[in-house]
Amino acid sequence: MLRRKLGMVAVVSLAGALICVNAQAADKELIIGVSDALTGPGAVYGLPQANAVQMAADEINANGGIKTGGDAYKLRVISNDDKANPTEATNSVRKLIDRDGVKYLLGFCCSGSTSAVASFIGRENVAMLVGNAAERAITAQGIPNLFRTRPPADFTGSAAGVFVAKRGVKTIAVIGSLDVGFYTQYLEAFEREFVKAGGKILAKETFGLKDRDMTPQLTKVRALNPEALLVLGYVEPCAFVYRQATELGMKMPRYGFTSGSEEQFLRVASSEQMEGVWDLRPTELTVEALNANAKTYVASYTKKFGAPPSPSSPYAYDQMYVLKHAIERAGSADDPKKVIAEIRKGGVPREAVMKYLPVGGAMFDVNGQAYTSNGAFQWQKGKWVYVADLPSDPAAYSEFLRSLRK
Amino acid sequence: MFVELVQQMLNGLAIGSVYTLIALGLTVVFGILGIAHFAHGSVAMSGGYLTFLFTERLGLSFFPAMALAMLAGAILGLLIERLAYRPVRDAPHINAFIIALGLTMMIEGINLIAFGADQVVIQTPYRGVFNVGGVVVAELRLQVILTTGVLIGVIAYLISRTKTGKSIRAVAQNRPAAVLMGVNVNQVSAVVFSVSSALGVAAGALVGALLAIAPGVGEGLAVKGFAVLILGGLGSIPGAIVGGLVLGISESLAAGFISSAYKDVIAFLVMIFVLLFRPEGLLGKR
Repeated sequence: MLRRKLGMVAVVSLAGALICVNAQAADKELIIGVSDALTGPGAVYGLPQANAVQMAADEINANGGIKTGGDAYKLRVISNDDKANPTEATNSVRKLIDRDGVKYLLGFCCSGSTSAVASFIGRENVAMLVGNAAERAITAQGIPNLFRTRPPADFTGSAAGVFVAKRGVKTIAVIGSLDVGFYTQYLEAFEREFVKAGGKILAKETFGLKDRDMTPQLTKVRALNPEALLVLGYVEPCAFVYRQATELGMKMPRYGFTSGSEEQFLRVASSEQMEGVWDLRPTELTVEALNANAKTYVASYTKKFGAPPSPSSPYAYDQMYVLKHAIERAGSADDPKKVIAEIRKGGVPREAVMKYLPVGGAMFDVNGQAYTSNGAFQWQKGKWVYVADLPSDPAAYSEFLRSLRK
Repeated sequence: MFVELVQQMLNGLAIGSVYTLIALGLTVVFGILGIAHFAHGSVAMSGGYLTFLFTERLGLSFFPAMALAMLAGAILGLLIERLAYRPVRDAPHINAFIIALGLTMMIEGINLIAFGADQVVIQTPYRGVFNVGGVVVAELRLQVILTTGVLIGVIAYLISRTKTGKSIRAVAQNRPAAVLMGVNVNQVSAVVFSVSSALGVAAGALVGALLAIAPGVGEGLAVKGFAVLILGGLGSIPGAIVGGLVLGISESLAAGFISSAYKDVIAFLVMIFVLLFRPEGLLGKR
């Protein structure tokens, strides 16, 4: 009888202990901070990025969390709206670090706000992974705890210049947000290659982020009779440029650098007005150019959020998996320094959606910069069609980026 | 060069038409009641959002949706006049000024909560393009110019040919005398606000179709509207029409022939230049 009682006590104790261990593992929570443009003009990039991080976190949690040693971290994502504004972004990140105790920051779609955070993040014991923000200076400073999944704008610009010149274009007019650094950098790189190949830029017209009537600039450009048009800027103003160019009867080929989805363009311009437009950008989310992960990503995102993902959103999705594997290799999420060292050494995670071009075997180079392939896309019958790869040299660009460091 | 000049002027005419509609609404309120109605831009944006809603949810085509939104705008104007401005009509001007600022913030906030922060573009079937000797006009722009012309005609008829118009003119010229002659000032005030708001709503709907509506656009329109008011002459209806078109065309010519980066600066320089020689505005009374 006594033996039976003791046996039962032992069983109950063991079960209790197991429950405690499980509860302990389940109770370990890791907060991931996201700072991104959830409203305003940058939201076309920022909101899909925040969604992508949430989706990746949900997937990881559904598979038991991030497992390190005996622990399993369940992820909780806190997303703050920085409105693509430098002051808002600084406040948002300060709140995440100081109030919420966040050690891992993801998101960051827009260059102005991201640069503001980059200016102080090197002094913090956190890891920051930047997504869509393309300003070169973000990774040109050698900030040890900052990494970026999207290549800088000029890495793509030079490949685009070669592509347009090879298509036989001799004269081109540019219209874009030329007061925004990364568009200027894209244009500088484009111009260098285009002029080297014998091309000439006839005009450089600018528009503001909130401008929607670009007919004066387009009329001026039309009078110069260029062989092609190059449009650089956020999706919404660029969609107006494409629409208004057709309304002004401009029939020359139109090249652009926008990374907008079909849905985003179709809110402004009709498919007929978009027909034939080229987008020369990182390959990003192009299912036919990527592996099976891309197809799964599109299906899962569409099911979860009721709309297809934007082309640049996987930059943020991939950040989450970079972090997951780095924490697993580091053995703990408690010390960001160890995790940062693992991010620096690590290869491309198997769950990654984008097609990365590793430098020296690692996903991130010495500057904390990752590179993806670039592609030429054309609007054909209502959708972007991947037409060709734009040859790019990440190792050479990495050296160039390193040389800019003060 | 000639074709480019005509094209730029046509481009400016479309956007100038929108400025004219905004300024018309402001000028009738200011000229007749002496109120600087800063919330007018936000009312215009509400109209744009409402038109969008009516086209998307009720499946109405653009002009019926705009007409319905104008009706809603007229009711909103009545409410604004009755609840916000009439109680302070005989108080110092600063009271109406503060109320106008408060209304702006309130309407902007309601727009944000009701319609979100993303930009909205009203879809229309007007996608044709006309080419006359190298000068190209989009059908939608032509519709904007024509609609403005029709609305100006209606306002001109209302003011000059109807009994209500006569009362409005009487109050504008001499309010105490109009009261002594038996004009119902409360009724005039209500009519003026509903007409003004309906015009603002029409401007918002046209902006939404031609360009886009988003938070903050209303403030920009109000600034342009007041600029036109000063340029054309405070309280002058013909001044608002001429001023709106001058501002729109100046912006377009400045962007096309000087620099797109400074189009607003150059347009306002034109305004300052005009005011140096005619401080009362282009068609204002000395």
